Amino acid sequence: MAKYTVKRLLQSVLTVLIIVTVVFLLLRMLPTDYYFTEEELIKLSEEEKQDRLMAAGLTDPILVQLGRFYGELVRLDLGTSSRVQAGLEVTEIMTSRFAVSMKMGLISMGVSLVIGIAMGIIQTLHKDKFFDHLGTVYIIFVNAVPALVSYSLILVFGTRIFKLPSLYSTNDVARTSVLPIVCLSIGSIAYYALWTRRYMVDELNKDYIRLARIKGMSSKDIMVKHVLKNAFVPLIAYVPASLLLTIGGSLLVERFFSIPGMGPLLTDAIGRYDASVVQGCVIVYAGLGIIGVFLGDIMMMIFDPRIKLTGRGETR
Amino acid sequence: MKAHKKEDEMFRFAEYSAEAAERVGYSNYSYWRSVFRNFLKKKSAVVMSVIFILIVVFSFVATAIGRYDYAELKSSMLEAFTSPNGEYWFGTDNLGRDYWCQVWYAAQVSIKLALLVAVGECVVGIIIGCIWGYVRQADRILTEIYNIIGNVPTIIYMTLIALMVGQSFLIMAVSLIAFGWLGMARNVRNLVMMYRDREYNLASRCLGTPIWRVLVKNIFPYLISMIILRLALSIPSTIATETTLSYLGLGLDVNTPSLGLLLRNARSFFLQYPYLLVCPAVIVSLITITFYLVGNAFSDAADPRNHV
Repeated sequence: MAKYTVKRLLQSVLTVLIIVTVVFLLLRMLPTDYYFTEEELIKLSEEEKQDRLMAAGLTDPILVQLGRFYGELVRLDLGTSSRVQAGLEVTEIMTSRFAVSMKMGLISMGVSLVIGIAMGIIQTLHKDKFFDHLGTVYIIFVNAVPALVSYSLILVFGTRIFKLPSLYSTNDVARTSVLPIVCLSIGSIAYYALWTRRYMVDELNKDYIRLARIKGMSSKDIMVKHVLKNAFVPLIAYVPASLLLTIGGSLLVERFFSIPGMGPLLTDAIGRYDASVVQGCVIVYAGLGIIGVFLGDIMMMIFDPRIKLTGRGETR
Repeated sequence: MKAHKKEDEMFRFAEYSAEAAERVGYSNYSYWRSVFRNFLKKKSAVVMSVIFILIVVFSFVATAIGRYDYAELKSSMLEAFTSPNGEYWFGTDNLGRDYWCQVWYAAQVSIKLALLVAVGECVVGIIIGCIWGYVRQADRILTEIYNIIGNVPTIIYMTLIALMVGQSFLIMAVSLIAFGWLGMARNVRNLVMMYRDREYNLASRCLGTPIWRVLVKNIFPYLISMIILRLALSIPSTIATETTLSYLGLGLDVNTPSLGLLLRNARSFFLQYPYLLVCPAVIVSLITITFYLVGNAFSDAADPRNHV
């Protein structure tokens, strides 16, 4: 177990390193004009620009720059923004925004885990009856209709019927966060419900469940002690996927409700070609995704002692 | 010596011939005929596919029968926010431009993009997936590539591409394919690995059947069901990605009307003028939902295990 964890951790670090390197090299291919603010670009002469670039070390050979970039990365220094918030440290810009995104993401992941699994259980208990079909309709709707359309619908219903505010505001965080969290959660809820139902139905058809029935175990006990426990393991494996969904969704949701999180920062930075901010955001998002998948694997191993990822092939 | 030679001649690989195969074990089972028969049994799926085809065809007719042409739209503030009427069938937007032709044009763009990406993903995914599953040496490196790309949300890559390469229909299609083939390839690989060493395939290979025929005739029928399911999911998800990216200003360029762009422009107004949301939303949802359901039904019908 420890050996596998270390191996897997090293692999994740390597993946992050590769992605970071690729992003760095890609962004260095952009024209150097983008290292100046729009104002400077008009004012400065060619020579002055060259001097500035020299001073910042941007004319050095690419490998030297890469080495320096790794050094800065270790010290958590992501450079300074040149356009979005000119002169400010990227880490400084990101921390406050990251906190907002993180809080919302975690809440929505928790909400979707609870509601999704509950929905899957209800569907299994009412298999082929009204509630099962209702759940299936919901899952099809969420999967098929583009997220933007369903967000718009939530926005319309949320503001018209529940009188909730349509834009995020720092003065009334609790009330204005409701709709964004609902939007962030709908995808993951469908995901968990679908898989909970599928695994539970699979599990219910197995022989040991029949034996438990014959023994005279109550169906509530069978559900809680056998079916749910066994169906829970593969579900854990979907937590990372749901994290990726939430990250992807947050880009759209935060823009849609004007939340001052990481999403709008990334799109703003891209729109204005602020290389160091883009780099910082991508590193954070990629890192989050990779850490999520890593934790998912480890968690699955802890929950199910039967899974031995170390000796692949031998155990089968 | 002579006897030895004779033995060599006695055992030759027989060429495949459909006639000889039929003589040994004739059966009038035809894979595709069974697929369609199973599919037609499901009335709801047939109705759905008719609706889907009608909408897709109509999206191309609609721009022609509309009173306004997308290329010749003029904004006039006097007619801004006209509700749907005889002149403007879907009303007008905030600049007083006809909404009908914008909506249907956007639907066309979405359908074209989704179909292109779905086919591209399929072709690339199946080819790489077969290699991945069949060539053991390739497994390791392809798995690493899968991990690197799959661990990061696709939308992050798409934003980077929008920054580095630019924004256009073609760039978007190519980059969606470049990241979309992974899922398909992964599924194909798993199935190919599962069926590769089944006894009947071992027997086939021992009898000298070329690998491509084993792949096409013995393994491929098991893949079709999964491939169709993937296709059915890919079209709605491509449309969703396109709307998301266009909404963020990172998708198609501003001159191509797309659903994302329409909803982006309407975002500040559709609380007062719901038809700006309802018209595009209903059309696109009909397209994606029907296709999703038809794909699911067809995928069930395509599974050879359901044919007996």
